[in-house]
Amino acid sequence: MRRLLWLLLAILVVAGPSGAGPARPRMAMILPGVIQDADFNAVGYQALKEVQSTTGVQTGHSEQVAVADAERVAREYLGAGYSIVAFHGGQYLTIVQKLAPLFPDATFIMESSGQIPSLPGNVWNIGRKFYEGFYVLGVLGALATRSNKIGYIAGIRLPDFVASLNAVFQAVGKYNPRAEVLYTFVGDQNDPVKARQAAESQIAAGVDFIVISVNLGTVGVIEAARAARRPVLLTTFYTDKSSYAPQHFTTSLVSNFGKPYVEVVRQILAGRRSGYYEMRPGAGFGLTPPRNVPPEVSRRVQEVWRAVVLRQERIEEVTDRIVERR
Amino acid sequence: MSWELFLDPSLLRLAVAMSVPLVLASAGELLMERSGLLNVAIEGMVTLGAAAAFLASFAAGSTGLGMLAAALSGVVVAAVFAHYAVAWRQEQVTVGLTLYVLCLGLSSLLYRVVVGVRLTPPRVETLQPVVLPVLGWLPVVGEVLFHQHALVYLSAAVVAVVHLVLFRTSLGLRLRAVGENPVAADTVGVDVFRLRKAAAAAGGALVGLAGASLPFTLTGTFTEGIAGGRGWIALMLVIFGRWTPVGAAAGALLFAYVEALQFKLAMVSRAVPPQFLQMLPYAFAVAVLVRASRGARAPEALGKPYHREARA
Repeated sequence: MRRLLWLLLAILVVAGPSGAGPARPRMAMILPGVIQDADFNAVGYQALKEVQSTTGVQTGHSEQVAVADAERVAREYLGAGYSIVAFHGGQYLTIVQKLAPLFPDATFIMESSGQIPSLPGNVWNIGRKFYEGFYVLGVLGALATRSNKIGYIAGIRLPDFVASLNAVFQAVGKYNPRAEVLYTFVGDQNDPVKARQAAESQIAAGVDFIVISVNLGTVGVIEAARAARRPVLLTTFYTDKSSYAPQHFTTSLVSNFGKPYVEVVRQILAGRRSGYYEMRPGAGFGLTPPRNVPPEVSRRVQEVWRAVVLRQERIEEVTDRIVERR
Repeated sequence: MSWELFLDPSLLRLAVAMSVPLVLASAGELLMERSGLLNVAIEGMVTLGAAAAFLASFAAGSTGLGMLAAALSGVVVAAVFAHYAVAWRQEQVTVGLTLYVLCLGLSSLLYRVVVGVRLTPPRVETLQPVVLPVLGWLPVVGEVLFHQHALVYLSAAVVAVVHLVLFRTSLGLRLRAVGENPVAADTVGVDVFRLRKAAAAAGGALVGLAGASLPFTLTGTFTEGIAGGRGWIALMLVIFGRWTPVGAAAGALLFAYVEALQFKLAMVSRAVPPQFLQMLPYAFAVAVLVRASRGARAPEALGKPYHREARA
């Protein structure tokens, strides 16, 4: 009897692991802000949840991770057995470049403004060509402004946002050379108070169309537009915020990070541990139909959008300096 | 660059509106400091007040309830602070810093529990400008001062009331005595503990209201870090104003003006780096504080726990 029990136990021990199947890979996402920002971090978190539901990987995330803390947080995940670490934001490049060679068994996902030469062999790079989308927002501003003054409000002077501002300058220069672009970098993507101050200053200077390039700061710009004594039109990005101020929003450059993240994780699970995925108009970026503008303006903007999607519109990408065109 | 830029009515109007959280928070802190309590939790209290105001208004659809919730949140935190600092005679800076961190975490937690993760930020109605009859019709001054929302007028009234109470009433005299020499005040029958707790509660309510002014007048929503250092600036303004409500309010207006000016300058001058302009209000605050604090004298018993049995 005792021998029989030992035999059963041995069978269970041997059969146990194979019955449970291989351990599912785990993926961590490091986010620069809070996931309830209804903006960049919220869409990143949504992408993570989409990865979980479509690929079956287990996920974890950390919010409000400053660049200085990112390495420590990533090391904690790697030490806890996470094999995929994603950095949602373009500011973590140096951390990825440092950690990837030190953890060759792990795979890293990073975001940037485009192709980066000589990345380690275990890094996936998601290039985000925001500027192409902002070019179309600039076209809309150029065609919709009545005061011939267009505002651009950004937070931090990151290459993405510099390129986007330059794209707005190019669009306005081509579609309405008489118009002027006034821009402000408020120093924080998520400070609605500063964003409101900047917007009030621009509105006081005659701006009647503002291209918003901040995250949570958007709500401050909206409040400034609502308080203005004359109509002020707005555009935003990442998520569609038109319901927030229907009479002010014209369009939103919406982002779907779920698509690139799911695709990249599938590739990783299939054994391809490095590569480049580009987000651009038509591939991860969409434009909501323009509203609060004349139909001919809406039609023209959608034509330009299609041309940008098909790469038929020439847009220069300048990330290192602001090229003002007056 | 024209000098008219510096006196642009829209700039001045914005500066007056932006000064409200600073005026209310510094008036609240001043009441506490005049009684001898140094409350450094003020930045956290402003944030918690903003969260409480937004969430109560979001849930109940009432700005008035939001204001009440903000004031109550300030009173509760101030009561905890006063209990530790007055009844238990704990080190005030340590207690204040602990409460500061607690308030930041609590405001974030409350928001997350009530609102959760959304792709459209929830918002509440912001206060609209109220044009005062006659005064509002005056050229320039009318537009700058009397085309403002209700909290601007309330903050002006608060400054006047705090000034009158502190310097024109026996209650104010007792409060100042408690902050200067609690032993002497106690000797003549003033209840030091009770008065300090009352000052903390009143000051806490004003600090909470300062927080409420952010979502109700500027943003229509709550975001983490919404206070943006305004609590710390209010702490500095009390010193700048030499522990007088009018002086602190003047400092608040000055700071708000420089803060609003940076964005005007950023638009007209491309030669100056934006990072320098963003630093401008704080550099200005440090420079002015260094100048203004010369000869300023804090209440003698500020930050010192009162021990009735201790020998003087």
